[in-house]
Amino acid sequence: MLYKSLKTLVILSFLISLLFFVSMPASLADPLAAFEGMKGEIKISGGTAHIPVMKAAAKAIMTANPEVRISIAGGGSGVGIKQVGEGLVDIGNSGRQPTEGEVSKYGLKMFKWAIDGVAVVAHPQNGVKALTESQLKEIFSGKISNWQRIGGPDKAINLYTRDAASGTREVFWTKALGKGEIFDKANVVVSNGAMKAAISNDPYGIGYVSVGHIDDSVSAVALDGVAPTMERVVSGDYPVARGLFSNTKGDPGPLAQAFLDFLFSPVGQAIVRDRGFIPVK
Amino acid sequence: MTRSEFLTKYGFMAAAIISAAVPLAIFIFMALLGYPILTSGRLFGTLLGAWDPIHQSYGILPMIIGTFILAILAVAAAFPVCLGCAALVSDAAPGPVGRFLHGVVRMMTGIPTVVYGFVGIFLLVPLIREAFGGGSGFSLLTAALMLALLVSPTMILLFCDSFGRVTHTYRQAAAALGATTAQQFLFVVLPQARNGILAGVLLGLGRALGDTLIALMLAGNAVAFPDHVFDSARTLTAHIALIIAADFDSPEFRTLFLCGLTLYVLTTLLVLGVRLTMRLPGRRP
Amino acid sequence: MMRHAFKLFHVWVWGSTLLLLAATGTVIGFLLVRGWAGIGRELVFGETPVLAALMLQRPVFDGLFPAMVGTLALVLLSVGMALPVGLATGIYLAEYATGRLYSLLSLFFDILAGMPSIVVGLFGFSITIFLHHRFSGKIYPCLFISALSLAVLVLPYLIRTTQAALEAIPADLRLIGPSLGATRFQNIFHVLVPHSLKSILSGILLAIGRCAEDTAVIMLTGVVVSAGIPKSIWGNFEALPFYIYYISAQYADADELTRGYGAAIILLLLCAFLFGIAFWLQRRLSQRWFERV
Repeated sequence: MLYKSLKTLVILSFLISLLFFVSMPASLADPLAAFEGMKGEIKISGGTAHIPVMKAAAKAIMTANPEVRISIAGGGSGVGIKQVGEGLVDIGNSGRQPTEGEVSKYGLKMFKWAIDGVAVVAHPQNGVKALTESQLKEIFSGKISNWQRIGGPDKAINLYTRDAASGTREVFWTKALGKGEIFDKANVVVSNGAMKAAISNDPYGIGYVSVGHIDDSVSAVALDGVAPTMERVVSGDYPVARGLFSNTKGDPGPLAQAFLDFLFSPVGQAIVRDRGFIPVK
Repeated sequence: MTRSEFLTKYGFMAAAIISAAVPLAIFIFMALLGYPILTSGRLFGTLLGAWDPIHQSYGILPMIIGTFILAILAVAAAFPVCLGCAALVSDAAPGPVGRFLHGVVRMMTGIPTVVYGFVGIFLLVPLIREAFGGGSGFSLLTAALMLALLVSPTMILLFCDSFGRVTHTYRQAAAALGATTAQQFLFVVLPQARNGILAGVLLGLGRALGDTLIALMLAGNAVAFPDHVFDSARTLTAHIALIIAADFDSPEFRTLFLCGLTLYVLTTLLVLGVRLTMRLPGRRP
Repeated sequence: MMRHAFKLFHVWVWGSTLLLLAATGTVIGFLLVRGWAGIGRELVFGETPVLAALMLQRPVFDGLFPAMVGTLALVLLSVGMALPVGLATGIYLAEYATGRLYSLLSLFFDILAGMPSIVVGLFGFSITIFLHHRFSGKIYPCLFISALSLAVLVLPYLIRTTQAALEAIPADLRLIGPSLGATRFQNIFHVLVPHSLKSILSGILLAIGRCAEDTAVIMLTGVVVSAGIPKSIWGNFEALPFYIYYISAQYADADELTRGYGAAIILLLLCAFLFGIAFWLQRRLSQRWFERV
């Protein structure tokens, strides 16, 4: 008797769970299933910190459904916001929150899918591993121009910065430099990836890059004693933090919506974590 | 004239008109889009100021200067080498060697710009950084050296052409008087080929001014006025590539057309210069 | 004293040549040494099976295949667009235009030939944005726009080679047709053009090389970091030279850098191949004329 009821229970629970799986929205079971039957192109441009996540997401989606094409370009946050606003791309990424002016001008909808920070980076062999905020300001304004003055070798400091369209620059300039001057003789590179590559090749270089991009090839510099790790960014100890946004003009179309849903799905958020950023979910 | 013949003739003509309209259209379009700046009274501010968008200053003078310094540096570095190489190829080397070298130089014109830039980043930049301590290695000098290599084949081929056009009898006369190859070249060929050499230099300058990738990849792109050759600098071409704006109302977008117009005018002047030198009467020895 | 000066002359000419050859050799050698090991199936196709990739059944990631197909499509489209116009213009210039008109047209084509490619790219880009604003929100920078801009860039090459080939035909050959009663039109199509076909072909090859290597035009008109195989001419695309540029500045790891070297070698070989054939054709041609005379 007991055995029989147990058996019924097992079968019943099996049936219920089966029913549950079947009736569950497809996007929850497998976020890629949402793309089934869809075809067309999603154009993405803008923020360069986003690119590794975009590429990985595109790879997953295009492998599951080759009918969907996802094109990814960089350019910087400013370019992403303008291009999506002008209707040139479907999704414009930005490494800073779009300003109120931008949101109202273009009717943007923002989707923040990761948390990131901006860290000062130097070559791994560089002895300087920590700076104060005032030292940082003096370095980036060109007042300190030799590593010796901050405990490094007797070599000129090679400054690297980003162009005005960069959200990373905007965040760094506002939150780390207090809108202080950035020396106009600094080399200008076009993306987070380019910054990392440049610094990893220049023993006397200093620049700033998305925390998610940091790996062994560069060494992150602590700011006022706080190391720019993801844990310290989340806890709020490290002040130069920001969100990574994807923006659409008005409500996203079905393809763009499916793409954004994928970013927020467990699989998408796992990609976000895997690429070094902090998922929002 | 048959009907088909009539049609073909005007078909060809239409094609020619379309082709000729393209450079005109480019000029007109750039001028129209840049027009608001030209008339806003901020033209001189834009032409002569510094680039500092955060303070609403959109000057392109640093880029104009960077362009000039880079192009002149590259051609100056290439000139003696190209002249020497051209002298060997068309004059001093024995026949087969000369022909072989000529072939090599022609093949060199096919090396993609981006390949020079790529090798520049991984080979020349660290070299310059180490050799001239201080500086990141991304500098006017680095870009100029690679650019010199890029413009060399163009210049050499033009030099060779102009040496080849030197009247043969003059050389024979000099040879009959006992002049060595070197003497013939220096005192007969070189003076007569003067115009061709000038044309080669102008064309080299045009090529150097107009190149984007080497400057973008190697010159460092700093917006400041460069003080010396180890400084990071930005050219007009790299500036256009860096500032991708997509909205008509931003001043950045407008200044791009000023950059484009400046480049257009500069290269057109060089083309006119080349055509003029080709027409100048050669000096008779 | 004089003798020393002339010895110096030989040092100069040989030294310059060797310097130039050494510099070029270093550039090529550096690429080959660093990149040769990376050349292989995986460089092009990544982890995708070759056949599935070639049949376009499965997209290729982490490989050069999409960029190579993109460059191929770009070259075919742009040369395809420029060729009819370039040939016709070249024929018009050589066979019909005279006097003032001839020199005016030549001036325009010289200006076009000297124009920096980034200016052509800026033109293509701004025209696209202009049309996007004024006419249709469906016009974006795309493969078609890039190809059109590149067509503008190589147009003067095609015009010049066609014109030069036709003008180089000796007068006796030029007159045979008309003397037998052929019309001007028949003479052009049955005698003059077939006769200069080889040198026109070499001009086309040079134009292809120019299309394949140019980066400045496409980076403003629709090339992107990642897009897969182009499915339509209205979409974004990848291309080899842009890939090289992109990797050089922002490679994420050693694998990507290796692919960058690989891409540079492939592009270099492609251009060397095209230029090699073009020059071989030109040389054979000049020899033939030489033998005729």
